[in-house]
Amino acid sequence: MTDQPTSQPWPKFLDAALKRVTQAQPADQAAVNRVLTRLATPLPRQKVALWRMPAVLLDWQFAPAWPRVAALAACAVLGFYVGIAGLDRRFDQLDGRFAIASRADLGSIVFEPESLTGARP
Amino acid sequence: MDDSDEALMARVARGDEAAYRLLSRHHVPVMLGLARRILGNAADAEDVAQEAMLRVWTHAPRWQPLALFRTWLTRIVVNLCLDRKRRAPWVELEAAGEIVDPTPDAGEQAEQSERDRLVAKATAELPVRQRTAIVLTYGDGMSNAQVAEILDTTVSAVETLLVRAKQNLRRALESEIDKDE
Repeated sequence: MTDQPTSQPWPKFLDAALKRVTQAQPADQAAVNRVLTRLATPLPRQKVALWRMPAVLLDWQFAPAWPRVAALAACAVLGFYVGIAGLDRRFDQLDGRFAIASRADLGSIVFEPESLTGARP
Repeated sequence: MDDSDEALMARVARGDEAAYRLLSRHHVPVMLGLARRILGNAADAEDVAQEAMLRVWTHAPRWQPLALFRTWLTRIVVNLCLDRKRRAPWVELEAAGEIVDPTPDAGEQAEQSERDRLVAKATAELPVRQRTAIVLTYGDGMSNAQVAEILDTTVSAVETLLVRAKQNLRRALESEIDKDE
């Protein structure tokens, strides 16, 4: 190039000029504040990745929810009691019922007559 | 507490708004400057910086620390700038006449300032991908590999962009000098 805009070799001139022209200017604080103010409004909902769901479940912390865990445990105990005793029997009568039931069951198993011959063991 | 970008992003991914505000304060000034240099328009640059930071918030749970956060954010800003340039016509680079020059001699400074104005004008008229490659390479001092990652292309494609940009600049500057003469 014969008509160079400077006495420097062309590539060197252009590189130096491009560095000066495209270098970052000091931030306009007013513009920065405007953007930050606009970002201060309520933020939109985040997009949760499906591949993160297992991690989310594993990361669950029960510490803030101990009352709910206690309620769940109480429900489990109540369910166990009702399942064992039924709704028509008091808890202190459970032993007798078990004893009677076990005796009847053992007898029927041990002394059940043979179905075809009627013979007893 | 660890205030690195990656640590803050991990907190943002869990919905921590305080970490997000801190991250925004760190990066908005730089991203605003980058968008302004690519777009040549302050108002559009503000919109792009805001949109980029909102995307950081919404996509944070999907972010994986495979690359530097800064590279990821730069990529978002550049993509938003490219989208915007596809839609809107070019607006003259506002900072073209305000270039700081460290040369001590006043006459030479004025001459260099005029040359820089011509270079800035020619740069502003480049196709947007070429201009982006120039801004990232010369303005931010990035390597061709980093520019390729941000522009989602190959290193050789970046080299081609830079060569073509310089050819276009040379052509534009020659015609400007011819006009002046």
